Amino acid sequence: MTTYLFRRILLLFPTLFGITLLTFLLIRLSPGNAALLKGGGAEGGRAMTAEVREQMIKLYGLDQPPLIAYAGWVGRSLRLDLGESIVDHQPVTAKIAERLPLTISLAGSALLISYLIAIPLGIAAALKRGQIVDRTISFVVFVLYSIPTFAAALLLILLVAGGDYLNLLPMYGASSVNAPEMGPLAWLWDRVLHMILPVTCLTYASLASISRYSRVSMLEALGQDFVRTARAKGLPERLVIFRHALRNALIPIITIFALELPVLIGGAVIIESIFSLPGMGQLMFQSLDAKDEPVIMGITVLAAVVTLLSYLAADILYVVVDPRITYE
Amino acid sequence: MNADAIDTLPAIQGETRHESYLQRIRRHFLADSFARNGLRVVLALFVIAALAPFLANSHAIVRVADGRLTFPIFPSLEPIEWRFLLYVPIAAVVYFLRKRFFRRPFLHFLFLLGLIAVIEITLALTHPVNDPTNDRDRPASFKLMPPVPYSPIESTPDPFASPSWKHLCGTDSTGRDIAARMLHGARTSLSIGFIAQSIALLVGVTLGGLAGYYRGWLDIGVCRFIEVMDCFPPLLLILVAISLFASQNNMFYIMAVIGLTSWTGLARLVRGEFLRLGSQPFPQAARALGANDFRVIVRHLLPNALGPILVSATFGVASAILIESSLSFLGFGMQAPTPSWGDILSDARRYIDFAWWLAFFPGLAILITIMSYNFVGEGLRDAVDPRLKVK
Repeated sequence: MTTYLFRRILLLFPTLFGITLLTFLLIRLSPGNAALLKGGGAEGGRAMTAEVREQMIKLYGLDQPPLIAYAGWVGRSLRLDLGESIVDHQPVTAKIAERLPLTISLAGSALLISYLIAIPLGIAAALKRGQIVDRTISFVVFVLYSIPTFAAALLLILLVAGGDYLNLLPMYGASSVNAPEMGPLAWLWDRVLHMILPVTCLTYASLASISRYSRVSMLEALGQDFVRTARAKGLPERLVIFRHALRNALIPIITIFALELPVLIGGAVIIESIFSLPGMGQLMFQSLDAKDEPVIMGITVLAAVVTLLSYLAADILYVVVDPRITYE
Repeated sequence: MNADAIDTLPAIQGETRHESYLQRIRRHFLADSFARNGLRVVLALFVIAALAPFLANSHAIVRVADGRLTFPIFPSLEPIEWRFLLYVPIAAVVYFLRKRFFRRPFLHFLFLLGLIAVIEITLALTHPVNDPTNDRDRPASFKLMPPVPYSPIESTPDPFASPSWKHLCGTDSTGRDIAARMLHGARTSLSIGFIAQSIALLVGVTLGGLAGYYRGWLDIGVCRFIEVMDCFPPLLLILVAISLFASQNNMFYIMAVIGLTSWTGLARLVRGEFLRLGSQPFPQAARALGANDFRVIVRHLLPNALGPILVSATFGVASAILIESSLSFLGFGMQAPTPSWGDILSDARRYIDFAWWLAFFPGLAILITIMSYNFVGEGLRDAVDPRLKVK
């Protein structure tokens, strides 16, 4: 196991290398650069002289050949220095650290809630296989799975937040304008109110895939020999289902969180954009607009590391929850 | 989804009647009502996309005025609309006459090429007449208007009209008719979904097939590459590619970016299938009979992997449509004035406090499209799954 783990961790590096190289080359090969965009009169129409622009291009290494510039970036990143934003000269790590908690809480709570709803749904469908309950759940889940998140988000805003209909929840942002003056409890309540709609939108899509997955997994477990044995020795059905079938069915369900997490982070980009939440997604859009190379690279690295680590975690979890699997 | 229906079919006919792999898939597929209806909806959507200019146009299809018979709709058609109009029936004719076609393939291919050349040259030489007049209010002794008498880029004088008999799905901020934009947007969404997935299919099958067939270093290289592509969170790579090359924004560019970023699942699948099939005796037998690598791959391995590839490609089209509409929604997709469902939704975002029709109708259209593709994919998967054969 230790050697396996070691090898897997070593293999992360070539992949990370590939991802960052691809992103870097894409940024470099695309027309225009950050200095040009910054000098384009973005700051109150103050045009930049050609001289200053040249200085900036030199300063940020934008004149170097792409591969040499990439090597420089790798060298600095290995010393854990992701550089500073070209736009506002803040360190990239600080910019990301400022945005990260919101995205994590968004994706994390969506994941938690969808598991809490999806597993019972999947189990119910599996136990009543082919009956009206199963068909209804399967169909509803299928429809949910096919609704584009952004359309659902728009309609939800229209129906319950502001608009001409119900006005129960706030429409935009992570907090109200007067949030800084609130007490801690009021602040928390305000935040929860703002998060209800974004989390709902993120939840329902992954809810669909998790519940479909748990239905199949439960059906497979119910067809196993040990379930028949458990029934044959006269265990009550409740124990057969919860102690024998469910425990085994949960193994693959737990591990798909690793596959859901990157999807949720990707989905959070759209949701953050719709609800104007100051998270990672918004930061990414801003830095893409400004061609803010260090920030784009920083976000890519972070996203790739999260994805790679969650795949790794899934593989390790397999072994932890199911002793029959080994990686020797 | 509806596996019960299959049980009632004659089960052991296979021994008396020859049934090919594809025929068996087809029989199982058509036995599933969800899949069947999903396929119907998908086909209907394609018909709508092909006929969009005849379903929504401000020009009359037939007009009689001053004793003259005219067809005002035709001069206004864009080359792409002519292509839809001409190539789809040609493809259908070739498909239905395929047996006769392949009896003299060389001559017929020559004829087909000539036909395409004539069409393309004619299209290149003629320019669509950009005639802003509409036939709705123009008096005529007889006129036949399309069901939605508005063009997708035509601004009518009443913006934000809610749905009524005049504007079935309402109008947007500049008074453009949403129903017309939706009908024409079907073309954008469907063709982007279809072509992007074709690109993904080409890349995925080629790379996955080569990796699975030759194994060794090629396999390791392709697998690493797949892993790199997969570890980009969804949308990130596409957004980076599209936003950074925004100046080249056109439909084919978006198709290419979506296609070139979504082939990894197919490549994994084809690689796995080829690894499995390659160790079976029949490719070896083919080689012993003197078939070269290309022939073994294309004639022996690929047909055997066709089922799962088809299933994956169907789901792929659905996800490509979804990606396209998310991109348009975020403002990275098709540029105005090209109508697309995602584009209407992004307009909806600005006026969300009252203009529900801007979000509802395109959302519904995307939902129906994605759902039918998914039903077709599910049905195909059940039909392809060999575990059903046991029954």
